[in-house]
Amino acid sequence: MTAAFSRFLRTDWFGPLAIIVAASIGISIFDPSFLSPFNIQILLLAAAVNCVIAMSQMVIIAIGQMNLAIGAIGGLSAICFAGLMQVWGFPPILAAAAGLAIGVAAGLINGYLIARTGISAFIITLASLSIFKGADLGITRAQPFYNIPASVKAFGNTTIIGPIPWLALPAALIVAGMWYLLYRQRIGRYILAVGGNANAAELSGISIARTVISAHAISGFLAALAGIMLVARLQLGQPSIGDDWLILSFAAPVIGGAALSGGHVSVFGTSFGVVIVAIITQALVIFHIDPYFVEVVLGLLILWAVGVNRLREVRFQNVARAA
Amino acid sequence: MSSTLSLEARGIQKAFPGVLALQDVTLTMRGGSIHALLGENGAGKSTLIKIITGVHHPDEGELRLNGAPVRFEGPRDAIAAGVGVVHQERNLIPRFSVGENIMLERLDSGLIRPIDYDAVHAEARRWLEILELDLDPRTPVSQLNVAKVQLVEIAKALSLRSRVLLLDEPTASLTPQEAEILFRLLRKLRDEGASLLFVSHKLEEVQQICDEVTVLRDGRNACPSRPMAGLGRQDLVRLMIGRNEQIPDWKPTDHSDAQTMLALKNVSTALGHANIDLAVRQGEIVGLYGLVGAGRTELAKCILGLYPLTEGQIEIAGRPERIAGVADAIHRCGIGYISEDRKQEGLILAHTVLENAGITVWRKLAGRFGLLRDETVRTHVSPVIAELEVRTPSLAQVVGNLSGGNQQKISVAKWLAAGVRILIVDEPSVGIDIKTKAYIHELLRHLADEGTAILLITSDMPEMITVADRIVVMDDYRIKGELANSRRYTEVSESIMALIHARDAA
Amino acid sequence: MDAPTPIESSQAASDAKRAPPSIAWTELPAPARMLLTNEFGLIALIAIFGAIFALGTPGFGSQFNLYTLGRTMAIDIMIGFSMMVVIVTGGLNLSVGAIGVCAAMGMGWLLERVGLPLPLAIVGALALGGALGAVNGALIVRSGLHSFIITLATMSVFFGVMVFITRAQAFRDLPPEISAFGKMRIEGYVSALLIVSVVVGLGLMALYRLTPLGRDMLAAGAKAAAAELSGVRVGRIFVICHILSGILAGVAAIMLVARTGAAIPSMAGDLGQDWLLPAFLGPVLGGTALAGGRVSVFGAFLGSVLVSELTNGLLQYRIGEFWLQTWLGLLLLLAVLMDLARRSLLTRMGSLAR
Repeated sequence: MTAAFSRFLRTDWFGPLAIIVAASIGISIFDPSFLSPFNIQILLLAAAVNCVIAMSQMVIIAIGQMNLAIGAIGGLSAICFAGLMQVWGFPPILAAAAGLAIGVAAGLINGYLIARTGISAFIITLASLSIFKGADLGITRAQPFYNIPASVKAFGNTTIIGPIPWLALPAALIVAGMWYLLYRQRIGRYILAVGGNANAAELSGISIARTVISAHAISGFLAALAGIMLVARLQLGQPSIGDDWLILSFAAPVIGGAALSGGHVSVFGTSFGVVIVAIITQALVIFHIDPYFVEVVLGLLILWAVGVNRLREVRFQNVARAA
Repeated sequence: MSSTLSLEARGIQKAFPGVLALQDVTLTMRGGSIHALLGENGAGKSTLIKIITGVHHPDEGELRLNGAPVRFEGPRDAIAAGVGVVHQERNLIPRFSVGENIMLERLDSGLIRPIDYDAVHAEARRWLEILELDLDPRTPVSQLNVAKVQLVEIAKALSLRSRVLLLDEPTASLTPQEAEILFRLLRKLRDEGASLLFVSHKLEEVQQICDEVTVLRDGRNACPSRPMAGLGRQDLVRLMIGRNEQIPDWKPTDHSDAQTMLALKNVSTALGHANIDLAVRQGEIVGLYGLVGAGRTELAKCILGLYPLTEGQIEIAGRPERIAGVADAIHRCGIGYISEDRKQEGLILAHTVLENAGITVWRKLAGRFGLLRDETVRTHVSPVIAELEVRTPSLAQVVGNLSGGNQQKISVAKWLAAGVRILIVDEPSVGIDIKTKAYIHELLRHLADEGTAILLITSDMPEMITVADRIVVMDDYRIKGELANSRRYTEVSESIMALIHARDAA
Repeated sequence: MDAPTPIESSQAASDAKRAPPSIAWTELPAPARMLLTNEFGLIALIAIFGAIFALGTPGFGSQFNLYTLGRTMAIDIMIGFSMMVVIVTGGLNLSVGAIGVCAAMGMGWLLERVGLPLPLAIVGALALGGALGAVNGALIVRSGLHSFIITLATMSVFFGVMVFITRAQAFRDLPPEISAFGKMRIEGYVSALLIVSVVVGLGLMALYRLTPLGRDMLAAGAKAAAAELSGVRVGRIFVICHILSGILAGVAAIMLVARTGAAIPSMAGDLGQDWLLPAFLGPVLGGTALAGGRVSVFGAFLGSVLVSELTNGLLQYRIGEFWLQTWLGLLLLLAVLMDLARRSLLTRMGSLAR
């Protein structure tokens, strides 16, 4: 019992979950409407999209790299999705498939360049961020697409039952899917193996290039999905979709205990990280604090989380040495 | 399955940018034998192993499996062909379980069929049991000590059912008991017809278990594959270094009258050293002997002020000093440290000879307005570089392009340039050739005779006995004892071992 | 040269892979060496594009356009320098834009609200930039974490606090001297701002070539452990690099204020992100090693010049506008790929020369 409980305490997601529970209780004492169905719906809506964004970065953190381009990929896919429906009258499903394909293709390009040239992921994705963002602005001439089909708008703004919005469905599927991928599928294990010790993985016959490319393709897919979900939620194809994803995409995985050096991420920890960010944003609104303060809080959260992770890492190594 | 597999490497040549690593090297391994691959550091053993396992591709020459030529595009091909390897570097994924590491290349899953971890761990357990390793395959590798990690790697190689198994220094971190279990297993595999290649620096082990031997020297065959029978230790050494082991005939001198330059009094450190008493006098070379992990390098770093003392004090030339950091140690106390890890801690390989040799004196040499010209540094450093006979085309050469021996001379040069009074030298002959090694020994002696106090950390017993005036033995972060160096190899080495093993009795 | 003795060949081989693979670099004849330098390549590109734009569009070569080009160029160069001085440590500083805006807004506040004279306000702004850089440096050194995540977080914090304090209001009633300086022309087509960038560039060159501090920076950036054990106070040096980066970001922002005539919170985009691309383009094109320990001030200068020239030219051709970012991204990609090709060419020439 106690052993099981202490293992529970040591998981990456326990801390964030405890924070969520404590914060929810604390805030609802000040303002009971915090736990109202409407508020929960708003919270879930924000968390749903952000969760997919965070997963998109998390899979790259897992291989020990970073992807600055997720926002640009998401934005490009989003305006393609919206544009195909408005300009050429594509049905939503086909347009979404095309948007996702663009995301995967963008990820493949990133992954291929990183794996084949050996240039750091930072520089490659900085360049591709600029390329994709430029394409986004070039295609739209910085004007949004307004004619979004009603079915898409409904998907982004109605609920399944109670306060649970439809958008939570793809998010939940992605969380489950990422867990299955990273912990029960060979490719996921290889992604974590390459992130944990690339040299060892290579000597075991794992193709590093293929693994890196796969991770970036998955990341591109998720970024595209998040972009499409945002089109549904905003009810328009904004060219500026994705501009503000970067900080959040690192904050959530890091709060969830991810090691930035690679090889260790937590799917549930990251999801809870997203919820924490959503709660904080909500709380700032409830307490009438300047919304600009969200950025400050996000930054401080990252600093706090990396500090905590660092301490855990040090302890982890000490345990290893003592054994 | 008792089919035997023989592996032959013929006329292998391999060049890296700037160096010819292997030249016309031949190695023949037969099924049912344990083959020793010997050679000094840098002789090309690891390169040869990496070629056989598909990590590198030979420029010339070919590999033959059972007489048929093969070409491995990567490690995967080699594994598939039945060639397994335990590399020298640690090659496990720290956060993964033991079982998953063993089975890493055989993890299997379908889109809707997840990895069956019960099966993975059950299969892994079989191989751990063969090694008599009582270990739960679900344990994360990060929680294992070095020896266990090594054994898990061996289990991993075995689990691939390789008919050709290459082991690069597999016993480096094993206790004698663990090594004995491994040897039993290797003999069993040999009797079942496997071909084994065994690389080790411990010649006793090699003589104990190997049937055949290939020696590399300077990237060439010093002897082609031949039976071990009839070769003695001295024969092997001669093959490896090209001549007999020579111990220079320096007279041990008594320095007890000289001033104590560096003294540790009852020092305990944050890294776990306890009650360390140690003194090095002017003109004296004190050897600090211990096994890997005894805490010697760590002690050096504490002396340099990188980690705090928790108790006791350090005296420099008789005066108690609090050393705040390396800069303080160098510039105020005159302590220099030549690191065992030349590539990470000793030198900046991407920078030039001039920059590396001058780094300790930049601030001292800066002139008016704090400006410093290359000319000034060059004037100061050139004599030292010349004195040490560093072979470099110019001071502007990038250090990474020099040979290991010349690199080591430069890491000495920067301390000569700084004019330190106390020099801590950590494993000075790792990765350098015999000639430079002898030169470095002479240099240390010469420096000591000129008045430098030297603390020599080494695990190389002959080196210790050649150079040290006095030998202090360390084990498990404690000083186990001290002895005068009589320079009689057997006698001294036995006394040292007795001091280390005193721990078991205590 | 001293051919490495084969005995330690595998040792040297693994070294060679890590070291810049220019083993026979010094053996090449001097003209060939010059032609293969990164700086020469940049100068050639600048000249070629200059010719194309000058012939292709009437506007490009005009005195007014060259002056405008100089004004933007000067700022891009300074942004590049502010990133370069941390790339030297093997790290990066994502918060250059945020620090720059904070410094500019700080200056606006000192001028409009406190009523300080311009020189004092500039000193105050630079001090603010340096202080924010010090925060970055201290956090990175104390935590031992990579500068990426730390400066990602501080970028958000600095910018958020700035917006929070200023309520996103711009300072527009600045003393006329500052815009006058921004508009100043020398010989009709050289912007005074460009002179500032050149002077700062010369100062940085002197820092790296002629001072122990600059050498310490390069040594610590190339191999922190080795530098530390040679007596370089690596932590302190890294903090100084970040302070310098903050100050240079401040200089860039003040120059931007001089150009636009106002201190605006959105002058570097949301969180200052718009500065990131120019910040990396210059140094990376200029051959500053991202791994740290190697710097080319002149290269970074030329890199930024090339980028500004291309931007300006593309706008003249009217193909820039919305697609501009794409071109710049492609340029960055092309630059790193070309650098890779150049190095492998050098290696091959090196092995031929032997």
